[in-house]
Amino acid sequence: MQIISFPNEEVGKGDYLTVEDFKTGKSLIVQVVDIQYANIPGIFEELLRNYDGDSSLQGEDIDPFEVATHIAYIQDARLLVCKIRATNINGDMVFTSSWLPSRSRAVIRKLPIERLFASAKNGNEYLIDLGETNEKKQFQVDVRALDGGLNIITGKKGTGKSHIAKLLTLSLVTHGAPVVILDINGEYTGLGRTADGKPNDLHEKIHILTPKKNFKLNLGEFKIRVMLNILVNALHLPGTSAREFGRIWRFLDQNNALNMRELGEAIKNWKCNQHVRDALFSRYYTLLNSGLFTDEPAKVASFEDSIHKTRVGGAVVINLRDTSTVDRHVLVEYVLGKLVDLLTAKKLRAIFLFAEEAHLYLRETYWDDIVTRMRHYGMFTTFVTNQPETIRENIYRQADNLFLFNFTNDHDLETVSRASKVDADTVKSVARDLPPHHCLVLGKIVNDFPIVTKVRKLDVQTMGHTRLFFSKIHPLSNPVRSM
Amino acid sequence: MNAQYPITTTPKYNFPLPEENLQLPLDFIEISMRSLKHMKPVKLTQENSTSFHQNPKKQTTLNPTTGLTKLKPDPTKIPIVAMDVSSIRLGETEQGILIALRGAIVWKQDTRYRYLRLGPFPFHITNKTQLEISSLFRQHQQTIRIQRHTIPNILYLQTRLTTLLERWIQSSVNHTTRRSLILWDGSLTAGTPETPTLDMAQLLEEARIRKNTILAFSKMTRLLFNGRRLTNLLLDHEPPCIMRIEDNTVYEGPMHLMGNIYVAKLTRGSLAFRMDIDKQVPHLHVVESVQKLLGNDVVLQSYPETLRLAHIFSTFTAIEVLGIQRCLFKEKNLKILAKPNVRRILFGPFGKGFEG
Repeated sequence: MQIISFPNEEVGKGDYLTVEDFKTGKSLIVQVVDIQYANIPGIFEELLRNYDGDSSLQGEDIDPFEVATHIAYIQDARLLVCKIRATNINGDMVFTSSWLPSRSRAVIRKLPIERLFASAKNGNEYLIDLGETNEKKQFQVDVRALDGGLNIITGKKGTGKSHIAKLLTLSLVTHGAPVVILDINGEYTGLGRTADGKPNDLHEKIHILTPKKNFKLNLGEFKIRVMLNILVNALHLPGTSAREFGRIWRFLDQNNALNMRELGEAIKNWKCNQHVRDALFSRYYTLLNSGLFTDEPAKVASFEDSIHKTRVGGAVVINLRDTSTVDRHVLVEYVLGKLVDLLTAKKLRAIFLFAEEAHLYLRETYWDDIVTRMRHYGMFTTFVTNQPETIRENIYRQADNLFLFNFTNDHDLETVSRASKVDADTVKSVARDLPPHHCLVLGKIVNDFPIVTKVRKLDVQTMGHTRLFFSKIHPLSNPVRSM
Repeated sequence: MNAQYPITTTPKYNFPLPEENLQLPLDFIEISMRSLKHMKPVKLTQENSTSFHQNPKKQTTLNPTTGLTKLKPDPTKIPIVAMDVSSIRLGETEQGILIALRGAIVWKQDTRYRYLRLGPFPFHITNKTQLEISSLFRQHQQTIRIQRHTIPNILYLQTRLTTLLERWIQSSVNHTTRRSLILWDGSLTAGTPETPTLDMAQLLEEARIRKNTILAFSKMTRLLFNGRRLTNLLLDHEPPCIMRIEDNTVYEGPMHLMGNIYVAKLTRGSLAFRMDIDKQVPHLHVVESVQKLLGNDVVLQSYPETLRLAHIFSTFTAIEVLGIQRCLFKEKNLKILAKPNVRRILFGPFGKGFEG
């Protein structure tokens, strides 16, 4: 639907309008997805004639009726390209667009977001303050919409993805939900502190696990399946050797001797092919030298214990910063395996997992696992990435909520527009013009009404700053110097 | 050399408008305003196709002889002034028609162009307002006396108002310039109700007194010479050149050609134009003037740039029509409705002709 707008009418991309047809008692709810200049007849001639860049042609007008102001008004008319989102039939919202209002009688009004949500009969429990709308009004969403869902936060670098991930994490924690964060850059380690470094209200609920420091693995916590996954997927152990490892593991388990020292001894003394032994030793030493394993679990925090602390609301941040690719894979295999075990054993009701740049540590087979099997166990994942093509298409198609920040690259926009929660035109047009910290929220959390919001500020310690070389020598004040 | 600037400057424009000559636009504005005041809040019927008014012209066959003169551009500095007026019909009301007029003057001095646009002046021409408009004619056209029984009809008043504004602008420019080339759009034909012979004669005389030369370019002419269109006579000649048409035709009725007719082909290309120049200007002076025009103005497709700009600045674009209609709607509560297209209604997709 295309609507003409004049210069005195303030309408922005993402705004909602109602097109009311009083005679039928219906109104269309449409969203502005693009704003163009209206193609008014004669505009090209008018602009050519009034072009004032040519200093050799100047002049004046005697315009007693001041028609020029009216001409300028029409010249600046805009065309609002709108998408029909719903039809309001006597107060009931119907998500179809099979009806069109009268062109001549319909009255077009701006629809404030709070009224849109009121008319969509959105609940007001479990509300979290996400930010503000274009009308500078508070924008709240129901945090329960994240429950049982698959979420994607994406946008180009520096637009505010991690910020909204932190906001959602803290909101979930505030409402008593357990959260696990795979923190690739150590950005979430300051969640429990205010911007000036003081402990905040949620300080006790944020548990930072830094591998090799306060987070080490003990073979006794492992199930054979998880360890085999690590050996096969992260350390590329061949099948024959994996089968032999299984026998060794069961032997040690039966003798209650599952620790690194006994494992090394067992491989050394096990009757098997020398090549198999060599392969097993090679992986064993990789694990041993990673520093991730300990035979003294009492000295370090147990992942399971940390997870138990979040049962009434809390977040476990796995700080993957400064870990090698192999170590990351080992840790993620362990964490995911452990979570599935806890969920399967119903020791954990559900868990919200935030995975930043997941392609750096998530193996191929996990993508399908996360959207199908793990989801049913109660693991609700939120992917955070600035490289949308690293997330598989089926993830986009099954995503329940999408938090989309600015993208200018057509290829990125094309990838993101595969999300089934919204039409490609909206994604491509609105996301391209989103300012930093403005987010297009799509999906269940906004009742399938795409909303543009400026994400609110958080008083937490930001740890995601890039360390700069020049900042200490000559801080950059103005990158452009006038000549 | 004492380079006397031919245009007296004022603080506002580079074009002074003498008091006596300002009378007409003030009258124009007053009548325009009054004509719109008479309007009750009515619905305006919009024209389906707005078109510029054109005087119906009869095809005339001349009985002339010709003389070709080759030209050489003369760069001797001379100011060039061009003017044009446009009118457009905005729509119809129950009481009459609504039109808008606008004039434009363009000066060429050295390498710079300056323009002054006058208007738009919207007019609501009704039976009531046409008396006032006719009175305006009597006031400003000294030779014609319109009798009550000869009051022109509403549609014809558009032409008359356009001509009136055009003559005023021509007169103003005439009074305020000296030793300049003045370019008009149209011919030097007089004797019509809009252009009485005496008025035209006075304009030409004033130009001669002030050492101005008026060159009137007609974009279209229906004059024929030996069965050929006049402007086709120079097709095979190398430009720049002009051909003088010695016209010995005796015209019946009030119409008079006040100028000598030339065909001017000033640049390469397929176009040539009819150019009228005051009969009392010697041929040699005509040649010098056109050569100065070639030496001082940009001429494309045989048409001077200054006159082209005057036409462009006076012409109404579609967006301006919308702007005026909006102005009338906002200021005078005039709502515009599309006029039903009778041809369309009767003939459906075959009704493609002009909606009269």
